[in-house]
Amino acid sequence: MSTLHVVSHSPFTDSRLASCLRVCGAHDAILLCGDGTYGLHNAALQAKGVKVFVLAEDRQARNLPLPEWAGSVDYPGFVQLSIDYDKVNTWL
Amino acid sequence: MSKSLLVISRQAPWSGPSAREALDIVLAGGAFDLPIGLLFMDDGVFQLAPGQDAKAVQQKDLSANLQALGLFGIDDVFACSHSLAERGLTPPASAQPLDSAAVSQLIERYDQVMTL
Repeated sequence: MSTLHVVSHSPFTDSRLASCLRVCGAHDAILLCGDGTYGLHNAALQAKGVKVFVLAEDRQARNLPLPEWAGSVDYPGFVQLSIDYDKVNTWL
Repeated sequence: MSKSLLVISRQAPWSGPSAREALDIVLAGGAFDLPIGLLFMDDGVFQLAPGQDAKAVQQKDLSANLQALGLFGIDDVFACSHSLAERGLTPPASAQPLDSAAVSQLIERYDQVMTL
């Protein structure tokens, strides 16, 4: 079963993204939102090779460039992703 | 058949209400015979450290709740071995240690996952 991992904390102050990457399965995806979007330029995230999505408005607010290997979603896209994956694991 | 739920507890015992709340969710699920698992990860593994003294910080003891897991029929209790090693803790008898690949498979196995 596939899992959508939602990370909303900055990887620079917090270990959520690092832990998520450690246990993320090959068919899982990671959605970055809030300060989690600062994780877009985390080398380990790209190296992991799983699908990565970022919430467009949170990325725009921070003026972070969108890497070509990441997908941008709006809120309806967020809802669609949570339907497309078997379960959602929000790293609260 | 109820959906299975994995609760991932990753906060230290005295840093806020999360550790207790995660245990409460698991115990409530156990009381209703729901298929439920509990994984201690990151600072959450500090909950398993022996000889803690809640009274010293005017808090309620979590160890009674931990011991109640068995009574409530919750046998699927796991601890991330990477998190334990990082913090210099030895794997406790009350939780089965799992490496990162095994944690990934564990998450895969459950219908729903809740991380606190």
